[in-house]
Amino acid sequence: MTALGRWFAERWITVASPAALLLGWEWASATGVLRAVFFPRPSTILAHLRDLALDGTLWGHTAPTLARIGWSFSLAAVLGVTIGLAMGLWRRLREGLDPVFAVIYPIPSVLFLPLVSFMVPAGEIALVVTSAVTSFFLIAFTTTHGVRQIDRLVVEAATHYGARGWRLFATVLLPGALPFIFTGLRLGLGFSLIVVVAVEIVSASRGLGALLWLSWQVLKVEDMYATFFVIALLGALSSYGLAALRARLLPWVPDVGDR
Amino acid sequence: MGVVVPAAVLVLWELCSRLALISPRYFPAPTTIGWVLVDRFVAGDLGSDLVVTLTRLAFAFAIAAVPAIPLGLLMGIARPVRDLVEPYLAFIFPVPKITLLPFLLIILGVGEPAFVLTGGSSAFFQIVISTLAGVQTMDPRLLDVGHNYGAHGLRLFWKVILPAALPAIFTGLRLGLGLALVTLVAVEFIAAKSGLGHLVFRHWQMLSTPEMYAAFALVGALGLVLTRGLRALQARVLTWQEDIGV
Repeated sequence: MTALGRWFAERWITVASPAALLLGWEWASATGVLRAVFFPRPSTILAHLRDLALDGTLWGHTAPTLARIGWSFSLAAVLGVTIGLAMGLWRRLREGLDPVFAVIYPIPSVLFLPLVSFMVPAGEIALVVTSAVTSFFLIAFTTTHGVRQIDRLVVEAATHYGARGWRLFATVLLPGALPFIFTGLRLGLGFSLIVVVAVEIVSASRGLGALLWLSWQVLKVEDMYATFFVIALLGALSSYGLAALRARLLPWVPDVGDR
Repeated sequence: MGVVVPAAVLVLWELCSRLALISPRYFPAPTTIGWVLVDRFVAGDLGSDLVVTLTRLAFAFAIAAVPAIPLGLLMGIARPVRDLVEPYLAFIFPVPKITLLPFLLIILGVGEPAFVLTGGSSAFFQIVISTLAGVQTMDPRLLDVGHNYGAHGLRLFWKVILPAALPAIFTGLRLGLGLALVTLVAVEFIAAKSGLGHLVFRHWQMLSTPEMYAAFALVGALGLVLTRGLRALQARVLTWQEDIGV
């Protein structure tokens, strides 16, 4: 039996159950068991998805969302890794910032939108900065933890062999913290997506979140499902795609988030 | 050190705001915010919004945790159940749960059930996944030992599997509660007409900034108390567990 055939023999339920669900849904909506107003047939949703894609609406809303995720994630990653490393290396900085972070971190990031819009120009920049907040804290936390969990013996051995300053950092501390940094980045990317979509629902006129919310307000239910599908696809790509990328690029680095 | 930096930030903020180095309209002095907080609590309206949010949180957490733990355990024990449910988990888990809100709004109508269910959904998936991970990552030697001492079926489950998964379940509950709060406050901000999230939104729209910051601070305090409190509880109750997760 081929590898694919063996996988299928073992895990056929994983494929069969969504297929059965979709077929059942199609049947129930077509015959009126489910109200087609709320649960349109999957084939209808697919047709709407195709229409949205063909007339350019979908891309017109997906592109701004992708750009916002890109900007806010980059902002969060650069600041988060830098400050996280600094906090891991200097105890005083860590003790000073920890209580501040602990208070701010659990606040839902959408709430930062008003605050951020007072500080930076409202509109696109406020949206990107707001979406970066939670990712930033997540990345900074995991990076700090990554530096701190490095075995002291390894650091001491390195200093005995004369590594200090920049060399100690680049050859011992950074590689040691890398698995945690990577996990932080993966989680941070997921959070960027979540917050960008949420902020788009609140305040944007373009973007997938805005499309979802506008479709709800004019009760274009099929478009809601189609948009949801695209958002889910982005979510899956960001979380499983990045995990696959890590396995490919950094095979020796375990993902500490998989506990 | 732990107190100095936050205190310094507050004092600096106070000075800048009082001396109008930063606009007091957008960044009112912390003491002003503090007084508004006290005033509003005495007047009772801040307290009632806090109660609304807490009630929603309690319901959301309950409807998430009650089905999620048995489902996670079942998925961990029975392979067919896991194969059956996993594709849906994998599909929904990375999706921002706030996007479920418009669907629940059209199906259930605008109201509490839709708000609460949206908040609960984010906790539900986290708890299922943590519980499942707890069963899957347990030391297989524990199972062998249990078998050798004659534990089977229900007895094996109660005496071996459940205790081994308990720390992971607790971690799932803790993370789930945090996620439910975050989603719920976002839902209030977007769609509800009451609760702390709505309070921030309303005072933002009216530009009554001291009230906005007061509600904001209250959400932060709530989040801090819940996360820190549960973490302390976990360390206390599950003393044999060293790993508390992120």
